[in-house]
Amino acid sequence: MGVKIDPLKCTACMACELACGYHRDDAFALLSSCIVAYRTRDKKDYFGVILKEEEDLIIARPEGLEVKRIGAVDESQGEADASAKPMLLREACDLCEDRDDGPLCKQLCPSGAIYLD
Amino acid sequence: MEFLASEQIAVIDLASGEVTEEEFTDELCQEKIGGAGVNLALYKQYEAEEPVVLGAGLFTGTMVPGSSLGLMTAKSPLTGTVVHTPLTQYAGMELKYSGFDYIVIKGTAAAPSYLWIHDGIADIEDASGLWGLDVWAACDKVRADMGDELIQVLGAGPAAEKGSDLACVMLNYWHGGDRFGLGKALAAKNLKLIAIRGLGLLEIAEDEEFVEQCVELIGQVKSGAWAGKKGLGDLGAAVGENGLADWLAPVLHRSRSDFNTPFAANSFLFLEGDPAELAEPANPEPGVLLAGLDGALGLMKLGLTVAEAGDVALACAKAGLDVSGVASVCAAGGTTEAGAIIAALEDISGPVEGLAGPFSPWTPKQSVFADFGSGDEWWTRRQAVAHIFGLDPLFVLMCPELTEEKLLELASLGTELEFSAEGLEAVIAEVAG
Repeated sequence: MGVKIDPLKCTACMACELACGYHRDDAFALLSSCIVAYRTRDKKDYFGVILKEEEDLIIARPEGLEVKRIGAVDESQGEADASAKPMLLREACDLCEDRDDGPLCKQLCPSGAIYLD
Repeated sequence: MEFLASEQIAVIDLASGEVTEEEFTDELCQEKIGGAGVNLALYKQYEAEEPVVLGAGLFTGTMVPGSSLGLMTAKSPLTGTVVHTPLTQYAGMELKYSGFDYIVIKGTAAAPSYLWIHDGIADIEDASGLWGLDVWAACDKVRADMGDELIQVLGAGPAAEKGSDLACVMLNYWHGGDRFGLGKALAAKNLKLIAIRGLGLLEIAEDEEFVEQCVELIGQVKSGAWAGKKGLGDLGAAVGENGLADWLAPVLHRSRSDFNTPFAANSFLFLEGDPAELAEPANPEPGVLLAGLDGALGLMKLGLTVAEAGDVALACAKAGLDVSGVASVCAAGGTTEAGAIIAALEDISGPVEGLAGPFSPWTPKQSVFADFGSGDEWWTRRQAVAHIFGLDPLFVLMCPELTEEKLLELASLGTELEFSAEGLEAVIAEVAG
């Protein structure tokens, strides 16, 4: 079971990123999240979500999902590393293993874009 | 102020070039809570130096649903009164994480300048290479120069440099909620833009309880009357403007949210290319974001097609002109053809009818989707609460779960300070004028 993303339901609100940041830091911060909304192409209205798992980087683009095996990923082509902590240096998703209610990002996502499967 | 804050207020004197820092104290937070309450106190403290005050609300950038709002408090060139302009999308969040809770900008720079706010540092920079650029070019340039595409830019466009009363504060490339001409107020200080990046961290006093309550709150909010709706079309229908959705449809692309705000109010119009296409467009600038119901309705009611309205909105965005104000002035003057409107933007100015009070009229003056309030007094109080706590001024109109009692409870949990209904009442009365 893992976190899944429906990019067409995403509205780029960043609630998932905020949730994951709290899970990592016990504070509100965005630099440690393993799930991020990429929003660097706002003039094109092109946005989606990136999730780092143990072995894969999941890129949920509007036109569909792309899975890149970590190690084979060219970080310079990444979507979410614009001056922030690069995705590959962040910890992988652990499904919020310390929470009885499961991943906090799923609970906070207001649009149903994040689900478990 | 240890929690939900960075503990710093920057005081920037553009005339002398000096930047000083003051502590954001527990006492100030306890008395004024945050957002508009603190902004107004700082405005009054520096009033003789015609300040523009930036601030975030107590909950801006936190897990409280709708926590997107920053605000700019200054004297409006259009009304001559002190107003609070909302800074939505991602601007409020980045400000909150920038290392400053509040920023006082006073005096006038001797030469064109811009501010670079990040990591608890506030620098005054030379804007000679930015002055004269349109809003989009200036945003692109400052982001490229800094090498960071996530910098949030509060910008003044060419219209502001020319002194138009309709020159609003732009958020990166797009309009926000400024209907008060504060772009002109920035340019009058020789200030082209304010670049902000937030990479900080906000500690929470009782973090587990605070987050638990936020999770419970979002659980309630998710099943609200707004659920399943998005964009300006649905927003228009909720206030009786049933034709707006059909008018927008031919060029409507996607709708997107402000930071941590469940309802996606911002609608993007594709002016070139297929709006149904989801792949990344090759065209780097395919359209324009409409972020305000009043602006969209104003253009529609001029009799423009949505494609023509998009062209007008795009021209306004690059010039840094308030779409709603432009529509209002053009309607009053009988200018209703798209080409004539765009030509008129070169020297368009006010006045604009219907501006009153300290809060921007960019949101409907009634509850939206859910029926839980209406009337000027209710709307003004709801806006005051949003501007104090840092909550999206539109979302608070569709979210009855965000009660004053709940917000006070969260404020105490988040900060370890005691807040009371009486204290909130006093701050509301003060900021609502």
